[in-house]
Amino acid sequence: MQSKMKESDPILEVENLFASTDNLPILKGVSLTVYPGEIHAIMGRNGCGKSTLSKIIAGHPSYNITNGDIKFSGENINSLEPEERAQSGIFLGFQYPIEIPGVSNLEFLRVSTNARRKFLKKEELDTFDFEELVKEKLELVKMDHAFLTRSVNQGFSGGEKKRNEILQMALLEPKIAILDETDSGLDIDALRIVASGIKKISNAQTGIILITHYQRLLDEIEPNYVHVMADGQIIKTGRSELALELEKKGYEWTDNFIK
Amino acid sequence: MKIIEELKNNKLIDNPTEIQKICLHKLQSNPLPNPKSELWRLSNKSKFSNFLDHSLNKENPKLDIPYPKNPQSTIRLIIGENCQIKLTEENYSIQQLSENELNKYIKEQISFFDQNENWSDLLNLSLNCTKNILGLKINGSKIPPIEIFSHASSNSLNTKTLVIFLEKDCDIELLQVNLGKENSSLSQSTFLCLEENSSINHGVVSYGEIRSNLLNSLNVMQHKNSEYNLGSLHFKFNYARFEIRIRQSAGNAKTNIKGMQITKKDEQISTYTKMDFNGPNGFLNQINKSLADDKSHAIFEGSIIVPKIAQKTDASQLSRNLLLSNLAQIDTKPQLEIIADDVKCKHGATISQLNEEELFYMRTRGITLPEASKLQLSSYFQEIISFIPVSKDRWDLLDKLLNEN
Repeated sequence: MQSKMKESDPILEVENLFASTDNLPILKGVSLTVYPGEIHAIMGRNGCGKSTLSKIIAGHPSYNITNGDIKFSGENINSLEPEERAQSGIFLGFQYPIEIPGVSNLEFLRVSTNARRKFLKKEELDTFDFEELVKEKLELVKMDHAFLTRSVNQGFSGGEKKRNEILQMALLEPKIAILDETDSGLDIDALRIVASGIKKISNAQTGIILITHYQRLLDEIEPNYVHVMADGQIIKTGRSELALELEKKGYEWTDNFIK
Repeated sequence: MKIIEELKNNKLIDNPTEIQKICLHKLQSNPLPNPKSELWRLSNKSKFSNFLDHSLNKENPKLDIPYPKNPQSTIRLIIGENCQIKLTEENYSIQQLSENELNKYIKEQISFFDQNENWSDLLNLSLNCTKNILGLKINGSKIPPIEIFSHASSNSLNTKTLVIFLEKDCDIELLQVNLGKENSSLSQSTFLCLEENSSINHGVVSYGEIRSNLLNSLNVMQHKNSEYNLGSLHFKFNYARFEIRIRQSAGNAKTNIKGMQITKKDEQISTYTKMDFNGPNGFLNQINKSLADDKSHAIFEGSIIVPKIAQKTDASQLSRNLLLSNLAQIDTKPQLEIIADDVKCKHGATISQLNEEELFYMRTRGITLPEASKLQLSSYFQEIISFIPVSKDRWDLLDKLLNEN
């Protein structure tokens, strides 16, 4: 998608990206540019490549980029490791946050936060200082302190896992956050809490990509652009009205746009 | 196999004790275990030979491996070095068994020995002189934690034996540490007898250096209403076998076992357990973990025997294994032999690798691959380490393991 001319440089540029896994092509020429302060929504049927795009941007080792580039803050990141991308400010909110038994959530959050802070040349936080910081961020997603003492995502409900993702986003202060179906499995109240958390974290310097099936998240967070994906490509881009039209007409309507 | 040749030719021991005579006699006719038997078929022959290639150490030099400072609250004993103990306090007493008591008990044990199953103990008792046998009789309550060390010095085969009688209503925390020096072999045999209503939280931590070997045999007799909790950890041995035999003499006893073995390079470490219920209402909960990397080999064989008399037994045996390399090998065989018809017994085994999705998740949070692997392994280790009693923090076991992997 070609964004209108902006004053600042783009945060993320995905240029004609082709990618595969096990020799199976998944992305077939995706282009997307995100500027600071923009919120993009990507919609599409199951299996159209939305989640794959998010994982490839985050550096999942199971996918191969066969053509095209991903640029972050002007630098090509195709060959960067996932942790290098995360440290430099790319955040992926998982559709299904992973449970890690035996690893304390608090310690996990602290190690992650310090990895990002180290990159930003900020002082790393000890347990005591980190507890202060995390206490403040817990408020954003209305999470209880007790969640910190449990293993990462273990025994969390669907909504709690998603809130934990947003808590991580708040702590890591990314330049771009890709939130993969953050709204799935949430009831109305939890959706509002999560949406409000995202809005509070995002600012004029942050870019957000919301991957979703439904309009309801976009009712809470209005996107600047809506992209529709099908068969590994972005087939249509529009403003927020596009999502409403999609909601009304269904994905069959978008089949007309497949090249 | 130097030791076996000397043993066959009767040149090994100059003035054998009565116990040694009995054991030597048993071994002379059949000096090696049957390599085709279930207990020995997976044992690496050249590594086993290497164990027996060292000369018997009759001198017993001082332990020169650094170990954590002994806090005043812990009783520390080093077998063969400072075994003299006689403590009689208001609430408890710890005394050495007299020679007669020790001989009587060991002879009784030997009478039940099967040449193949108890080969490690027969070898140990054949070679072991009196000064390397520590026998303790413990009674009372509020007993300070006890640490007992066995160690092997370089280029020699060392034998140590520990016998502990835990009298009625007594409970203790015991950490046994077996240390191997470079190019050494250690034969450790332990006999624990838990009288009625007694309990032990027992930790067994064994680690060596380059090309050190270990034969570690543990025999536990549990009487009624006793509780035996074992947390064990074996790592960094060229070749190590941990043999656990537990018998609940009349049932109505509890046994909890959490053990782990970690192999790297071309090491082979194995754990064999035999749990024998000889009465009703027995309980066992066992988890054994193996972690194998490089070209190493980890083995677990567990056997639970539930005869007709052992009705209402509740036993569970789980083997969980982590394979870190395509060239590493893990053999695991938890098995049940049940004759009684009113029992609750389960067993299972899993072999997996480090979870790729967990690793990716951590990496997307800025945690490097080595750090993410360490976090995963630390959670894998924690379950076992937290079960090992006495000063596990002072021993920095988690750090030792994480830096090894």
